[in-house]
Amino acid sequence: MIYVNDLRKEFKKAIKEPGLKGSVKALFSPKNEIVKAVDGISFHVPKGEMLGFIGPNGAGKSTVIKMLTGILTPTSGTCEINGFIPQKDRQRYVKEIGVVFGQRTQLWWDLALRETYAVLKEIYDVPDKEYKKRMEFLNEVLELDEFISSPVRTLSLGQRMRADIAASLLHNPKVLFLDEPTIGLDVVVKDNIRNAIQKINAEEGTTVILTTHDLADIELLCDRIVMIDKGKKVFDGQLNDLRHEFGQMRDLQFELISKSDISKLNYKADLKLSDEDVKIENEKSSVSVRFDSEKVSVEDILSYTLSKVHVKDINLKDADIEEIIRRLYRQEVSIDEV
Amino acid sequence: MKFKKFIRTYKPFTRAGMLESVQYRANFFCFLIGEIMSCFIMFFVWKAVFLSSDSETFMGFTMEDMVVYLFITFLTGYLTYSDGTYAIAMEIRDGSIAMRMIKPCSFDMCFLFQELGNKIINVLFIFAPLVLGVEAYRWAITGECQFQIQHFLLYVISLVLAYLISFYFNVSYGFMAFYLKNLWGADILKEVIINFLSGATIPLAFMPEILADVLGFLPFSSLSYTPVMIYMGMYSGMEILSRILMQIFWLCFMVVLSKIIWNHAVKRLCSQEG
Amino acid sequence: MRRMLRLHRIFVAQYMKNLMEYKVDFLTGAISFLLGQAVQILFLGIIFSQIPDLVGWDFNEILFIYGFSLIPKGLDHLFFDNLWSVGYFIVRKGDFDKYLTRPINSLFYVIAEKFCVDAFGELAIGLILITYSVIQLKLTITWYMIPLFIISVVFATLIYTAIKIATSAISFWTKASGHITHMFYMTNDFSKYPTTIYNKFVKNIITYVIPFAFTAYYPASFFLTGENPLFCIGGTVLASTILFAVSVLIWNRGIKAYESAGS
Repeated sequence: MIYVNDLRKEFKKAIKEPGLKGSVKALFSPKNEIVKAVDGISFHVPKGEMLGFIGPNGAGKSTVIKMLTGILTPTSGTCEINGFIPQKDRQRYVKEIGVVFGQRTQLWWDLALRETYAVLKEIYDVPDKEYKKRMEFLNEVLELDEFISSPVRTLSLGQRMRADIAASLLHNPKVLFLDEPTIGLDVVVKDNIRNAIQKINAEEGTTVILTTHDLADIELLCDRIVMIDKGKKVFDGQLNDLRHEFGQMRDLQFELISKSDISKLNYKADLKLSDEDVKIENEKSSVSVRFDSEKVSVEDILSYTLSKVHVKDINLKDADIEEIIRRLYRQEVSIDEV
Repeated sequence: MKFKKFIRTYKPFTRAGMLESVQYRANFFCFLIGEIMSCFIMFFVWKAVFLSSDSETFMGFTMEDMVVYLFITFLTGYLTYSDGTYAIAMEIRDGSIAMRMIKPCSFDMCFLFQELGNKIINVLFIFAPLVLGVEAYRWAITGECQFQIQHFLLYVISLVLAYLISFYFNVSYGFMAFYLKNLWGADILKEVIINFLSGATIPLAFMPEILADVLGFLPFSSLSYTPVMIYMGMYSGMEILSRILMQIFWLCFMVVLSKIIWNHAVKRLCSQEG
Repeated sequence: MRRMLRLHRIFVAQYMKNLMEYKVDFLTGAISFLLGQAVQILFLGIIFSQIPDLVGWDFNEILFIYGFSLIPKGLDHLFFDNLWSVGYFIVRKGDFDKYLTRPINSLFYVIAEKFCVDAFGELAIGLILITYSVIQLKLTITWYMIPLFIISVVFATLIYTAIKIATSAISFWTKASGHITHMFYMTNDFSKYPTTIYNKFVKNIITYVIPFAFTAYYPASFFLTGENPLFCIGGTVLASTILFAVSVLIWNRGIKAYESAGS
């Protein structure tokens, strides 16, 4: 379905010294530096998969998406989607994809939403019958009815996003690109949008590629994630693999019978662990221990704790995806480990 | 002391304005070339007119006068141009005008000093070349230097007054355009009206006497015609004095007008947002 | 082609609905334009009150050339005005993304999206001036004049459009090029007057480099005198075709260099 091979994109960026002097200098001798926004990325996406594209700000996510959608021309490398090379067969290719940029609307600002769809119907050459069926389906999934007659500029952000997603799906695309589809939305609306995306993927087998900063999007939607940083791929695999690979951090929670027992516990000193390996949080009579399972086993923590104090309840939490990604972003986990 | 603080408060705005115009210098030059082109077209038209005419003068203007008129009018128009109308309407539209209200400095002064920075760069780049070019042309045509320092200095004074009138006029107009809710049309209308009433398109001297007299009393002639005529030495000493006094009167008028409109707008903006 | 025409009609219809929201704005714009032209013509009138003719052309002939110049300018303004936005902000803000993710030609899409009704001001004044001067000059209209007029107007319009396409495409490399478009576009004012009033340098530029002289003076002089049809009309067609082909080439190259905006 989607094959990306050693994709690269370089931008020229003018270097400018600050201040008026710098501006004048740049006027006479402009200097450029080359920024590698995407630096050799390859991956493959089978049909019907939901792929999450993550990475810190400026990692190159959007640049990749823009190359995949034919907006940007790669400096080198190739991408092929549904047998098309986006830049080459642009007009035919884009008929098979839908694109939503969360920060930017594709709807006609001053017109009623309905009008935008009518125009898009013509642009994508959707037959009347098909269009009617499509609108019914989209209406059911995204609940457009309540605002379809209002001018787009009067829609709330959540409504606008729903409208935008519907607009990108009108022509029944095979691949849907979503660039931060939940940005700036409240929890309820986010949930709605996720459900809709899931439904579309399930019912139509649409391949979905989405970028996001919201890790809940990934946990709830994506079969697989590709993480990039500084233009390079740092992880590619199932969410579970990520958990498995980087999931050495475990959380053990103990509910103590007596609050005063807390002072008896001294993990760092007794088990000879560093600040990095273990983190302790106390709240009333509960102690939560977050530890690196490669440095110290669950058993050791358990037996140490039980030998020191009386415990009312024990709770072992699985590795939190958010924590893993946070650590990856902070480069605590190095690329070599992948 | 007060003055020093005043300068300290507003200097950053001037600096920002200068930076901005240096940054967009390529745009600035392109724009300039595009605009000055119309001067050259008119130059050729006038050359043809004088060629086709039996007389040495056209309604009292010689070819040399006409050239000076064209280019100095362009220079004056360029330097007194103020972007207030558009800038204000845009700020109102996207709401950033609220930021102006919470800053501890006067609204019009921020704008003025920002634009001043812009003007400083413009003056550096086009003032000297244009004045030198015009004077060189006059010298070449008449065989003697026509440059008169006292007229030039009075021109500069009149030019500064003209800019300030233009600035406050544009501030007032910007707020009015906002009330009328039709910025784009209003902006074009303003350009056309000003160009005609200020004598920039057709010198007031070419118009019927009654019309020319009426226009002479309106604020628009203060924007362009007055400084240009002073530069050309068309006015006597008394006339210069009365013309500059007229400019001062219109400046005061525009300042007061803009304050009234601004106060009114603040009330309205606040009630709109609350 | 038929699909494009249908799409264009739909865009225009949408745009008109849009426009109705800004009626007053549009009206003020059109009136201002009429006023501006009236002032220009008044100015010509003042000039001709003092001289019998300008380099051999009398007042009515100058009005004809002036009026002719407004027709292609107005048509270009009517249909192709959105190109200005490409150079001023569509590319800089990254909004060009939208045009690239649609299954229609991006140039066509940008152009068709906007329809500038205020251009009717230019077209009306142009037609009035032409009609007035034709009557005053008692020009005899032969049958072949009509198709030739239409051809020259169409190709003259393309000269405007091609210059706008080529210069706004520069923004794909430089982010913004509205001012470059402005610079080139302003040269069109040269075409309002007979090229014989200019010196050789200017004349060559507006004939061979930025061929605005073919948008008014050359074709108009043919209709006034009946002389030089090959150069006046043929030249218009040739200049416009070459320029248009080059501009589309630049545009297509530009798309490849487009860098979008933001992350």
